[in-house]
Amino acid sequence: MARSRSPAKTTPRPPRSLAWLQGLLCGALIMVSPALALLFGGLLAPGLVTLAIDHIPGKPVARAVLLSGLAACVAPARELWLAGLSVDAALAQLSDPLVLGTAWAAGAAGWLLAEVAPILVRLVLDVRSTARIAELRARRARYEEEWGLPPIE
Amino acid sequence: MADLVHAAEPGPTDRTASAGASSGLIALEYAVDATRPLHGAGGGLATFAARHHTTAKSDLIAVQVRPGWPPRAGALAQLAAATIPGLLLPLAHGPGPAANGGEAYYVICRPPPGPSLAAPGRSWSEQELIDLVLRPVAAALEGLRAKGITHRAIRPDNLFSAGPGEPAVLGCAWASPPGCLQPAVFEPPYSGMCLPAGRGEGTIADDVYALGVTLLTLALGRLPLADLDDIAMIRRKLDVGSFAALTGDARVPPMLGDLLRGMLAEDPAHRTPPSMLLDPAAARQRRLAARPARRATRPLQVLAMPAWDARGLAFAVAVQPEEGARLLRNGAVDDWLRRYLGDTILSARVEEALRLRGQDSGEDESRADAMLAMRAVAALDPLAPLCWRGLAVALDGFGPAIASTVTAGPQNDRARLQEILEVEAIGAWLTNAENHPDGTALRQQARMWRSWLRPRSLDGGMARVAYALNPLLPCASPLFAGRCVARLSDVLGALESISARADSRRLSPLDAHLAAFLVARQDLAGGSALLSDNAVSSAPPPLAVQIAALAALQRIDPRPLPGLATWLAEQAEPTLQDWHSRTRRESMRRQLQACAANGQLGRLLALLDDPEARRTDALGLRAATEAVARIDGELHHLQDGGAERGELARRLGHETAAATGLIALAITLGLAALG
Repeated sequence: MARSRSPAKTTPRPPRSLAWLQGLLCGALIMVSPALALLFGGLLAPGLVTLAIDHIPGKPVARAVLLSGLAACVAPARELWLAGLSVDAALAQLSDPLVLGTAWAAGAAGWLLAEVAPILVRLVLDVRSTARIAELRARRARYEEEWGLPPIE
Repeated sequence: MADLVHAAEPGPTDRTASAGASSGLIALEYAVDATRPLHGAGGGLATFAARHHTTAKSDLIAVQVRPGWPPRAGALAQLAAATIPGLLLPLAHGPGPAANGGEAYYVICRPPPGPSLAAPGRSWSEQELIDLVLRPVAAALEGLRAKGITHRAIRPDNLFSAGPGEPAVLGCAWASPPGCLQPAVFEPPYSGMCLPAGRGEGTIADDVYALGVTLLTLALGRLPLADLDDIAMIRRKLDVGSFAALTGDARVPPMLGDLLRGMLAEDPAHRTPPSMLLDPAAARQRRLAARPARRATRPLQVLAMPAWDARGLAFAVAVQPEEGARLLRNGAVDDWLRRYLGDTILSARVEEALRLRGQDSGEDESRADAMLAMRAVAALDPLAPLCWRGLAVALDGFGPAIASTVTAGPQNDRARLQEILEVEAIGAWLTNAENHPDGTALRQQARMWRSWLRPRSLDGGMARVAYALNPLLPCASPLFAGRCVARLSDVLGALESISARADSRRLSPLDAHLAAFLVARQDLAGGSALLSDNAVSSAPPPLAVQIAALAALQRIDPRPLPGLATWLAEQAEPTLQDWHSRTRRESMRRQLQACAANGQLGRLLALLDDPEARRTDALGLRAATEAVARIDGELHHLQDGGAERGELARRLGHETAAATGLIALAITLGLAALG
């Protein structure tokens, strides 16, 4: 019994895949409202593509693209809801370049932010680090001068 | 026998003399005129005219002490207020101006009444010798004997007379070690064979012997045995007896001859005492049944020196110790003593020395042979001095003997004297010397000298012994060149004046000689210890030890010493680097300058030797080291953390993008809900 327990304790458990849940929700959405599924599929197409190609754990780029795209989907989805959730109304929304462009532009903005934000944060961190190094070197120089300690190699 | 250690405390004149050193006056009373030498007045020592400072009478003499030959502290202290007719008594002593512009140590005496008896052109009748020389000198010797002092410088050139018909006066004998200026012919054999400075105080009987030789010299008009060197002269005295050797074929007046026979007896116990010499007629009748020395039927040849009796053999072994030890080891001496001298008692003593030699073997063979020769000489001749590798020293003459070799003199003599102290040869000598009255005390002193010597370097140890045994020996530190610093109270003043010379300030103020001087004399510093014995082991001692010793001296004489303090502060400058904190160093430097200007060595010491400040400095250094270690760790982390920072930036950037999208979604949802 002890033998059977010890590997379970040491071996890390693989992360649970939620793909099946996502697929279930998508399937449920298609079954409940094909028009809404069609609209989201069209408007969130960039996000879905990013979701497929983003191999970073946690898919942070796809998440940003999808969340930005979702923000642009709220108004068309409301119009579709008011139009009775018909497929025609969904196609009409999708054929509207303004609606489609806005949603895809939002997705593009999300992608751009996901790409640029790490660079900006790195820049900020580097600046702070440089300032800290300078401060530490100055403090060390004061100790060296006061106590005759050897300089840093 | 006089005390082995001449550890006389300074008398009243000593103190006044030290006080007067800076004023150029001796004992604050006597001024030396170093431009007026008086030849022949000091019995072999340089002598100058002196005068009383207040009365301006210039009828005194100042006898100059030779470097390395310390004056007789014990005699000077005892004769400070004495009145003994027929003798030039010391009036004062101390440092004074020398003819070369420096300083020298002087003994002030009354002037001799006229020229010395060595002056040519004077012939002496027997009656004159008895009335004008023997009687007054015997009276003076009796006065000295009553005080337990010997003269030890009786010879024609140290006896003075105002003119024909005037009694002779004994000259000064206090400015040099006892007997050191005596030609060996004036000394008994056991004293004449000694190192001149190591003849010791001796006894009044030795003075009687010297007086006898002096009388004979004056009677003959020439120095007896003048054609022989010292060794041949002593051998002759031992072979035929002093009287026979000295008179030889000369015709000596009968009464004088009878007197001389008693005065020149080999055994000091058999010599006529001075009190009896005051009545020469009675002294002439004195007869002591001294047994003549046993003579061998054939001599024992020690190299080129034939020995006919035990004393002759002892002298031959003393002079040629290597050959003597060889003859002792191969049994030739024992055989000669039994077969040809017929003295089984001496033979047994020599066998005992050989047995002890067997115990010594395995160590340094040369040293064991020297020890054997020394023991054999002591066994063969009860009157003989301590003889070590050809060097003979009376037991009470070690102090001046060491002084004469430490400050100058041959290195060979110093090495032999040091070896005597190192191996405690005095204790071994006493084992073989019969019935020595002071045996236990002398052994203890020998152990004490050895303990002074043992943990120290060559110069420091011997110098320590020299200063301890010679209370008036001036410090031989090179710093005091041209100066005469013989007392503790003179040290600070001398250092203060030396501090004015820039070339001297490059040296340490307390070198090994001065350290040895202070250690030896610190008993006189009011009981406070100036330096530990171990301080003498390093040359120079650590600066803090130097300042502590000098500060202790300044507590006795609290005059400000800005020059010396500045000198010490300059010496302390490099030691400031021992402080870790730069701020503290700067502060210390400023305070040192302030203390130096103040001239108080105690404050200087308190500043440099502050354990609490040292502890604070050490703690500060430790805290700084730890802080620097932390800084280095953080710097290392920052410099090497690029990848980690990049990962953090990527994660934060992506979270920011997701949060922005979420916020936008929330806003649009809110707007949609509001219509």
